[in-house]
Amino acid sequence: MSSNGESKCYFIQLQIDGYLDGDLSEAQQGGFMSHVQDCAACATEFRYAQTMHDAVMELPQIECEDFVLEPVHSLTAAGRPKHDEVSRDSLVTQIAGLLNTVPLYFRFGFSAALVAVVAVAVTFTGLTPTDEPGQQVASEPVEQFSQEDVALALQELNVAIDYLNQLSQRTEVMIGDRFLVTPLQDSINASFERARNRENDSFQNGPI
Amino acid sequence: MRALYQQAIDQHRHRVLSFARYSLRVREDAEDVTQEVFIKLWQHWQKIDHEKLGAWLMRVAHNSVIDHVRKQRPQQTNLDQYAEVEDQVGEESDAAQLDQQHFKSQLQTAIKSLEDPFRSIVIMRDIQGMSYEDIQGSLELSASQVKVYLHRARRKLRENSKLRQLFEEQIANRSEVKQPIALVANNDKGSGHVQ
Repeated sequence: MSSNGESKCYFIQLQIDGYLDGDLSEAQQGGFMSHVQDCAACATEFRYAQTMHDAVMELPQIECEDFVLEPVHSLTAAGRPKHDEVSRDSLVTQIAGLLNTVPLYFRFGFSAALVAVVAVAVTFTGLTPTDEPGQQVASEPVEQFSQEDVALALQELNVAIDYLNQLSQRTEVMIGDRFLVTPLQDSINASFERARNRENDSFQNGPI
Repeated sequence: MRALYQQAIDQHRHRVLSFARYSLRVREDAEDVTQEVFIKLWQHWQKIDHEKLGAWLMRVAHNSVIDHVRKQRPQQTNLDQYAEVEDQVGEESDAAQLDQQHFKSQLQTAIKSLEDPFRSIVIMRDIQGMSYEDIQGSLELSASQVKVYLHRARRKLRENSKLRQLFEEQIANRSEVKQPIALVANNDKGSGHVQ
């Protein structure tokens, strides 16, 4: 077979599927048929393709017996699908979709603001006194203290307060000496020293 | 809702099982896929676009089949081939009939051994007669991709050496009776299948 014939056969065999699907034009069908009737190799190839095509299309649809779907029926017989899950999913999806449409800085800003609002709300909730304090007290076990215990506790508290006062005074003195009194004294002394030096100079140099 | 759900099952159950059965080597796997598909239909009933229910079901079936193909063990192939031959042969024992049944059995094995999406497209288009539009929706491919993959899949099947050998044996057996080539365009593909 010449190279021209081989390329013709190659081209014809590329058209086999198109012919079997009915996608070729009338002119293409005519050229295809005339070549296949004259060329033994292409005729064999076409017959093989047609056999394969017919065999695939003849494969039957397989029946789905009822027993296959019994587990499905038993599962779905319990009732309707869980709508809560569906609605929760859709709500989350909607919020996510909404956030995705806004700029990045707004998303971070929105998240930060949300956290701040929650934090403030929690703080104020914790600090707000209850309307009926008696209920809160009553809900906890009450411990009974004697007067001596109270006096002893007050005494310890006063000792602690005295200690903190002394500590505060020492700290104040240290801070004052180091950062206020000492620099001030140094500054005053320096001023006097400069004044004294100027007096000495004026005596030494005399009037102009 | 339950009535509509049952109606959807009745309408699509055979197509889903067929797709799974022609895609997978083990019958039980195909049944599992069918169950999974209809359980997911129940779970996602309210989210689904019911105008495209068929495409949605086939997409779920396709994804489920891919999961099962990944889990399939290689040694299950031979067992299933014998089972298919037994299923197909039936009572008729004519030699030509046996040859044809053996050819079809080998053909099913060859289809199952195709890679995706070639396998799925051959099953959906040539066996189940689905429209190109439905196949596009099920496999999320373009129209041109579906056509190209379909032609490649058919070529791969024709290049299968076992099928070629069986075909040549059949031709040799019938060589004494020379048949004219039937040049009739097969335009009505998919007819007779459930749409």
